[in-house]
Amino acid sequence: MTELEALRRWIDDLRAAVERKTDGLTAEQLASRSVPPSQLSLLGLVRHLAQMEHYWFVVTLSRADEPQLYVRDGDWDAQFRDAVADQAVVADAFDTWRAVRERADAVMDRLEPADLEFVWDPDDRIGSVRDALLQVVYEYSRHAGHLDLLREAIDGATGE
Amino acid sequence: MWLPDDEDPRTYSNPQGEKATYVEYLANYRLTLGMKCEGLTPEQLATRSVPPSSMSLLGLIRHMARVENNWFQRTAQANGQDRIYWSEDDGDLDFNAVEPSQECVDDAFASWRREIAAAEEWFAGIEESELGRELPIAGRPDEVVSVRDLVVHMIEEYARHCGHADLLRECIDGRTGQ
Repeated sequence: MTELEALRRWIDDLRAAVERKTDGLTAEQLASRSVPPSQLSLLGLVRHLAQMEHYWFVVTLSRADEPQLYVRDGDWDAQFRDAVADQAVVADAFDTWRAVRERADAVMDRLEPADLEFVWDPDDRIGSVRDALLQVVYEYSRHAGHLDLLREAIDGATGE
Repeated sequence: MWLPDDEDPRTYSNPQGEKATYVEYLANYRLTLGMKCEGLTPEQLATRSVPPSSMSLLGLIRHMARVENNWFQRTAQANGQDRIYWSEDDGDLDFNAVEPSQECVDDAFASWRREIAAAEEWFAGIEESELGRELPIAGRPDEVVSVRDLVVHMIEEYARHCGHADLLRECIDGRTGQ
């Protein structure tokens, strides 16, 4: 397995973990701030993960001129604050997240192993494609940790 | 923010190459977990602050000492040692046997730092070309893991537990960030 294949497998495994952690819950449960005083909710995190994948794969790696998802007028907290217990908001979050994943997969399908070394902004030396994919692994993993405790506080479910 | 930028010990140096990238990621998330534990008493570190979870910050330090040992010693170097903070009777001894004492805190952090130093020593000797090399997994006959997967797994493991630490810490004293 190449490095690129390994990174893609890690990203796929983590997406599947998020699917499991959010499965079988009502809109109220998904939107509940179940570990106060934290403002995090499962639904807020799904919206944030959609925003995160869109930022890395679409805005950064594809250089698409698109506004960041769920961030209005620079208001980053809106991703979490506006994650309310409404079936339409839930459906939008999951539809958006899955649609972004398809676009992200299309971006990764076009990568060759050697592309991992590519620095996407040579003037600013912002980072390599490898670094972008590892950031995605890191973001998913850290937020999966939040999902673990939020979910356990809702209905006691633990584990992968 | 928790610490001013100029006091943050983590680095973002845009390392070149696969191994150097892993080295910086691992170092940063080890530091992050340690930062999440700073300035707390043994009682706070041992608190299961997000019930019903049995996790505590001190339990996480013991757990990561065990995980570092399991992957970087027992698997990577097949050294035949027993697991640490684990027993036949209690596979979650790392979390379950936490005590709110300075002795327990000192032991956990000493073990964790010892395991990190040993892990760093081993990984320093790995060449970029060896990252695809497969190693037999300790305690799992017939299973192998590549050096690359072992190290990325450790990054993922630290990141996930830093996520747990985020909420555990916020519930202790309201601190967030980093």
